[in-house]
Amino acid sequence: MTQATITAEDIPASLQGTVAKVVKFVGQLDESNVDEKAKIIYAIIEQAPKNLFLLFDFEGLEYMNSKSIGYLTDWYGKVTEGGGKIVISKAKSNILDILQVVGLTQLINCYPTLDEAKFALLQPIAGTN
Amino acid sequence: MDNNTQPTVETLETKPMKITITLPTNAYFISGIRDFTLGLIKNMTEFSEQWAFRFQSVVDELCNNAIEHGSAPGNDVKITFINVPHESIEIIVEDTGTGKVKFSATELQKLVSDRRQPNYVHTGIRGRGLSKIVAEWTDELEFKDLETGGMQVRIKKFLQDPKLKEMSNYLESPTHLVLQ
Repeated sequence: MTQATITAEDIPASLQGTVAKVVKFVGQLDESNVDEKAKIIYAIIEQAPKNLFLLFDFEGLEYMNSKSIGYLTDWYGKVTEGGGKIVISKAKSNILDILQVVGLTQLINCYPTLDEAKFALLQPIAGTN
Repeated sequence: MDNNTQPTVETLETKPMKITITLPTNAYFISGIRDFTLGLIKNMTEFSEQWAFRFQSVVDELCNNAIEHGSAPGNDVKITFINVPHESIEIIVEDTGTGKVKFSATELQKLVSDRRQPNYVHTGIRGRGLSKIVAEWTDELEFKDLETGGMQVRIKKFLQDPKLKEMSNYLESPTHLVLQ
């Protein structure tokens, strides 16, 4: 199995009733490991189905295949449905390239630094108080 | 010296390079093929680093499809790289046709064509590999049913966009502009 780790830690959220986390991806997500690793994110979504704000730190992510992009799209759908948000930070150029070709950068905003991503994540979503 | 009598020198730089790798049907081996593809494109072809990463994804997607649909466990997947210096790279992936969910070349061609339609919405976890990655990053994508019962998927990418080449013919002759 290809090596990949996904770890999550809380970030203090400015709005009450919200959960915000930085989720760090390291290694390569491919056919051999993505189904197993995806469960970690589904567990986070299950614990906080409403108002979940996730910052995916892709600095250590070296590869992602089409299935991991499929999962990312599914997580995005579930999180936004619950009134939350997903942003990506520090993705390598090959990761940004693949996200762009499948059109995911039109849905999920990508930021070059963790601070910018954190700031964008915790901004109130348009149309909400 | 008479120019007509000069010998033609075929060097490594002009000769097509062909490499074939046979893999057991197991996703475990695919990361090795990805590393190989990245190194090959970076070091042995004239494609940029960005394209080396793109071909890494193309090969990964083609091999995963071959493993999932084409070759049963215990069988093989064959990958062939053909680099034509200054011109193109061609990658051919062949399965044995013993996989669980079998598609014909025509079915797969239609599937990709349908999924490439601008109004097609990808809803599931899967289904983006061929249509959104492989097809987008290659100039030619062909499926062929093999006599052995397997499937051959062939992709080709030219160093220069062939469409640009056609355009440049017109541009070289500014008095003959074709308005379409």
